[in-house]
Amino acid sequence: MITRLLRRLITGAATIACVYTLTFVMVVSIPGNPFQTGERNMPPEAEQALRARYHMDNNWLYFWEFLLGAIRLDFGPTFTYNEWTCNQVIAASLPVSVIVGSLAIATALLLGIPLGVLSAIRKGKLTDHLGLILVVLCISIPTFVTGSLLLILFGVYLELAPIGGWGTLSHLPLPVITLSLPFVAYIARLTRMGMLDTLGSEFLRTAYAKGLPQRMVIWKHAFKPAFLPVLSYLGPATAQAVTGSFVVEKLFGIPGIGQHFVNAALNRDPGLMMSTVLVFATLLVAFNIVVDLLYSWVDPRIIEAV
Amino acid sequence: MFGRIVAGCLAVVAIELCVVGLRGRSDRADFTYVNPSGIHTLDPARMSWTQDFRVALNIWEGLTTWHPQTTEPIAGAALFPPEISADRLTYRFVLREDARWSNGDRVTSEDFIRGWRRGMEPGTAADYTFLFTDHIAGADAYVRWRRECVSALTTGGDIEAVFDGCAGEMEKRFARVGVRAEDDRTLVVSLTRPCPYFLDLTAFPSFLPCHPSVELLRERHRGTPINAQGLVVYDPQWTKPDYHRSGYPGLTTNGPYCLEEWTFKRRARLTANPHFRDVAKIACKTVDMLEYENVSASLLAYESGRVDLLTDLSVPYDHEIARLARSGERPDFHSCVLLATYFLNFNCTSPTVAGRDNPFVDARVRRAFTLALDRDQIVDKVRRRGDRAAKSFVPPRSIPAYEPPEGLAQNAAEARRLLVEAGFSNGRELPTVELLYVPNDERMCQAMARMWEEALGVRVELRSQESKTFAEEKARQRFMIARGNWYADYNDPTTFLNCLVTDNGNNDSGYTNPRYDELLASANNAEDSAARAALLRRAEAIVVEEDCPILPILHYTETVAIQPYVSGLHANPRLWFPFRHVSVQR
Repeated sequence: MITRLLRRLITGAATIACVYTLTFVMVVSIPGNPFQTGERNMPPEAEQALRARYHMDNNWLYFWEFLLGAIRLDFGPTFTYNEWTCNQVIAASLPVSVIVGSLAIATALLLGIPLGVLSAIRKGKLTDHLGLILVVLCISIPTFVTGSLLLILFGVYLELAPIGGWGTLSHLPLPVITLSLPFVAYIARLTRMGMLDTLGSEFLRTAYAKGLPQRMVIWKHAFKPAFLPVLSYLGPATAQAVTGSFVVEKLFGIPGIGQHFVNAALNRDPGLMMSTVLVFATLLVAFNIVVDLLYSWVDPRIIEAV
Repeated sequence: MFGRIVAGCLAVVAIELCVVGLRGRSDRADFTYVNPSGIHTLDPARMSWTQDFRVALNIWEGLTTWHPQTTEPIAGAALFPPEISADRLTYRFVLREDARWSNGDRVTSEDFIRGWRRGMEPGTAADYTFLFTDHIAGADAYVRWRRECVSALTTGGDIEAVFDGCAGEMEKRFARVGVRAEDDRTLVVSLTRPCPYFLDLTAFPSFLPCHPSVELLRERHRGTPINAQGLVVYDPQWTKPDYHRSGYPGLTTNGPYCLEEWTFKRRARLTANPHFRDVAKIACKTVDMLEYENVSASLLAYESGRVDLLTDLSVPYDHEIARLARSGERPDFHSCVLLATYFLNFNCTSPTVAGRDNPFVDARVRRAFTLALDRDQIVDKVRRRGDRAAKSFVPPRSIPAYEPPEGLAQNAAEARRLLVEAGFSNGRELPTVELLYVPNDERMCQAMARMWEEALGVRVELRSQESKTFAEEKARQRFMIARGNWYADYNDPTTFLNCLVTDNGNNDSGYTNPRYDELLASANNAEDSAARAALLRRAEAIVVEEDCPILPILHYTETVAIQPYVSGLHANPRLWFPFRHVSVQR
């Protein structure tokens, strides 16, 4: 187990290093001056001196400077937000995205799993068809549409929720629901699929033959193996949800990290681009390792087989 | 299994609700407004965005300030008017006896010199160094020398000797700049030439004072006041109220308000400065500046009464907002005619662009393209935001005692004649013309391309670039036609016209005409204001009627929303809202 964990940690670190190298190459290759704040032109001497100050006049030096800083968890300055460092930007925005994202994933699990199980045990019936329609709607309607509709309905007409912003409990429900809907759909489909595979198994027939009630057969015996595809999906899904959604953040005015992925690239802010990518890559690797560990808990045979 | 998942999820939900519930605060300030894209910087030497100016001018105060309605210069931290010499080259400002920083310290003339010097230094200054070099005696020579130092230190050679030379000579060189503290309360400023708008400039953020505590955060190399690259650099976090590195007390300001709290991408809270002279008269003791990434969401917040002032209403249906403001159906929507122009730059210098011949090196082609455009239609049918169609660079009826020239009205026949005269018997003989713009201008640029194709028969290729790439392409003159805009920095035609002077840093079209440069130089030295206005008018006529290096499209109009229960705010061309005059009667 420990050897496996160590192997996963080493391959994870190598993955992050590759992501960093590729990002760095793209960051230094794209056109645009990170020091220019508006449309007015900057004196070339000042630009040259600023590049020298941050070692951006020497890509090789800049590559190692940034990497060593990142290892020490110091991502350096941002050029978009003069007064804030990359660490401060991440520290201010990542917790917000983590709260919204993890609530969305929790909501998705609480809604998606029962929906998937219900669809599987009522396969081909009205419940299954209704579940399918719901799932297709959740996947196919983009979040900016569902978010806007929720905002207009609950924020403007019913006045039950604030119009955007962040800081109180009332700011949470609308963005969390908006962000969770696509995840609800995927989790419901994966649960249904897993459950249908499991329901035909012999060990379940044995369970029924022994006279166990359906509730116990489904939730105690069938659910565990049926949940494995959902577990595989949860790693990347959680990383995606907690590192922010640009659309949801923009729509509800949430100061999360998702907007910085986009804005850092638009502003050509090298430090912020690389630090946000590194945060995302690290979380993705970390969640995949956690999922691996959970696998061994859910079904130790998988680890033994590996 | 499922029970454990449910328990885990509920635990996550409960913990996070507790975190948000405990940390959240909903206390409402006396007055709340939305800063659409957030604060870019609060460093007065670096800022260039109107929304940053608005915060800065509410927490700092210059020698003068702007009238809340007319934006004319009025008394600020100094007595008004200052003593002006007969040759109008020397201004002697006496600071108010009761001018105080937010910690109770007296505001001194040295504080102003410190702030102004930051605005000249290559390490701290950004877009507005020219306000000093163009107007203050000796500033240009000092800035040039400083840039040479920085350049020498970054290009190699005997770095140590260059560094010692720069560091050792800095104070001696700066002593030649025309700002001098006669005593603690008296600041004497010497100008390069008579400047009728200088008191307007002294209210501008670049001319704000700076508290001495900032020196605690200055980067020093080998005990000198500059860093290893020769730059004057301060820890950029000096503008935060809760930053205390090296014993720094946090941001100290001298305006009607001080910054109590600044949370990244959420809000800034201003509270009345207890040491400000008129603090008793300030009705709104707390002001919140909220940041909304989405303008539609901020408009909904305004409509629900959670916000008292909105300065950006650029929603997808902004034409409807502009109509409601114009028709008076929404008396809380106000139209502000800005001192700003949207125009197109013609590349006047590069004979080829992207391997194609650039026909715009010929003034006749530029004039033909100007004549072919129906700017009224662009304003009324395409943009529909209540802007004014532009035929001049300086907006008409905006600057006292100056009326810009007529400019060129639409005349397709004359445009075609000019093309023939330039050697193109029809538009098809011209190489494909490329129009460079940013995505926000898509509809306008499509309309302009269509007008040129119909009037002149030319082929127009549209090239949209996002803003950073666009800025680089424009700065390197890799365009035939590129969009541009200019917001006035001060209330004088030269704020626009200087952009087209040969070698000006913002002369993106690369235009050069000695006659134009001479007229502007003569205007600078003119004794009489009417004669000066006439010279400037002649200069502007050259660029909008003869040489046409730019094609003015429209003068911006902005709509702002002020709740009906708010008084003391006035729509004005600078979107300048001093909160000390605001009162709220909900």
